[in-house]
Amino acid sequence: MTTETKPVEAMAHKTAGEAEASPFGWIIDPAIYLRILSVVVVIGGWELLGQISYISPSTFSWPSAIVAAFVDLTRTGEMMAAAKESSIILVAGLGLAIPTGIMLGLLMGRFKTCEYLLDTYVYALYATPVVALAFPIAMVLGVDFAGKTTIVVFFAIMPVIVNVFHGVRNVDPFLMEVTRSFCSSEWQRWRDLIFPSMVPYLVAGLGLSFGRGLVGMVVAEFLMSISGLGALSQDYTGELELDKGLAPVLLLMITGIVLTKLVNICENKFSSWRTHHEG
Amino acid sequence: MAESLNEKEVCLHLAGVHKYYGDLHVLDSIDIEVYEEEIVTILGPSGCGKTTLLRILNGLISYDSGDVLYKGERVIGPRPEMAMVFQHFGLFPWKRLSQNIGYGLNIQGRPKEEIDNLVRHYTSLVGLEGFEDNFPAELSGGMQQRAGLARALATQADVLLLDEPFGALDALTREQLQDELLKINEAEPKSMIFITHSIDEALLLGDRVLVMTPQPGEIRFEMETGFGRGRDLEEIRGSQRFQELRHYLWGLLKNPDRKPGPLPDEPELHGTVVKEGAGNDDRNQTGRGHGP
Ligand SMILES: Nc1ncnc2c1ncn2[C@@H]1O[C@H](COP(=O)(O)OP(=O)(O)O)[C@@H](O)[C@H]1O
Ligand SMILES: [Mg+2]
Repeated sequence: MTTETKPVEAMAHKTAGEAEASPFGWIIDPAIYLRILSVVVVIGGWELLGQISYISPSTFSWPSAIVAAFVDLTRTGEMMAAAKESSIILVAGLGLAIPTGIMLGLLMGRFKTCEYLLDTYVYALYATPVVALAFPIAMVLGVDFAGKTTIVVFFAIMPVIVNVFHGVRNVDPFLMEVTRSFCSSEWQRWRDLIFPSMVPYLVAGLGLSFGRGLVGMVVAEFLMSISGLGALSQDYTGELELDKGLAPVLLLMITGIVLTKLVNICENKFSSWRTHHEG
Repeated sequence: MAESLNEKEVCLHLAGVHKYYGDLHVLDSIDIEVYEEEIVTILGPSGCGKTTLLRILNGLISYDSGDVLYKGERVIGPRPEMAMVFQHFGLFPWKRLSQNIGYGLNIQGRPKEEIDNLVRHYTSLVGLEGFEDNFPAELSGGMQQRAGLARALATQADVLLLDEPFGALDALTREQLQDELLKINEAEPKSMIFITHSIDEALLLGDRVLVMTPQPGEIRFEMETGFGRGRDLEEIRGSQRFQELRHYLWGLLKNPDRKPGPLPDEPELHGTVVKEGAGNDDRNQTGRGHGP
């Protein structure tokens, strides 16, 4: 809420349009050229190193070889099968972690009792390297679907809880008083104030959560019963076909980028009311 | 003015209200009666407990002793018969203007059609037609406060509580809104408690001005302005009586512990010259007193 005084009452709305860059603004933007330059030098250098060196492809691989292997594995159907196997774990893990995380974050943020009851575990888990829990979890839940999904949950749930918690805690106390002054009921308060001010935090948390979920998925596939993309990568690397061993990694990277982009889009969509701030 | 008010019923009644924040004695035995359709302005320096007083009236915070009554009923929490206009507007940044204005009605669970009609009516009453779909951040402070006012009016509350509603606005917008507030109140009269630290504003808007002094906050002085309803603010600003009263109040605020002299309209004060310079001076001073 801006408190500065504005000199003229009818200060124009929609000044934001002027601040936006023209459609061809990127042509003079140095950022894009620096990025292209960096990619050409690093990826090109890597490629060149692979092409001219006599290092065996079993211990070194390069971009074109990895892409070729990617196409190859996709054609044989191995990639799809592995991706499907992995994504079941990822989706199940995130599907559990996100609603649970939101629920815990909301409760801890809004009710001190819940905070005091739960924060010990949250901070303990936050401080623990979750990889170290892989074996204990395997002992209890087995090395298959249940165990792997649990690993993903442990990896992915933290950012959701913590962000939602902070979102709820950072609710503007003045607006809280407004809701009270207008005799709002508790659920109306959630609808009008707490949820909307929590959403940007949640979306940011989801971005982190997807990334960590991917890590958890691969960790689970490496450390528990070997499966999916993790297995594909490990198998081919073990057979000294490094290009095929890296192709699944390429897919993971692309997945990570796509998920992050999706979150960014959501972020902008949910905070359209912010975009006109501070013209 | 006085006679007509006395025929009306007491709407709000504070009797001997004390408030402490820990060891800090914020309000000291506050006694106020507000009649139906009366505009009471409470004038006092920053930190003297004005906001605290208003929050108590609204039922937002508790008080330590005394009584707060709305039409004879003790105020124990916020109630729909009172609506607050906040200094920093208090609009929801993610709600469009029409949703912000309809907020109180929505909370009260009024039918959608009724909400739409009332929102349309009050949006146009405060001059915000055409901005219904804007977010608050797209509007100037003055327009945001118009929306804050419309939101409170739309609930058709009996009592409007205004906490330095124009304090964050520039002088021009402020005068405009003072004018409009009075016009709106003439069209749809209700009791208003208007808090301000501007002497001019207190005099222009109030049927009655209460002067509050700090540490602990207490009502030191009370006067009827006698400018009457349907008043023309421009005319009042230029009037001799306005200059005298403002000079008088200025002296009172500057030296709260000195026993106030007779009011300027008492016979012995007639003909007393009020220096023009003093007036401008106090406007600057009050302006400087506020600010984030
Ligand atoms: N929640 C609170 N806790 C402790 N002290 C408070 C609180 N709110 C206000 N105060 C103190 O009470 C006094 C009066 O505050 P306030 O009512 O906001 O004054 P005003 O609105 O006249 O500027 C100030 O000294 C302020 O610091
Ligand atoms: Mg205040």
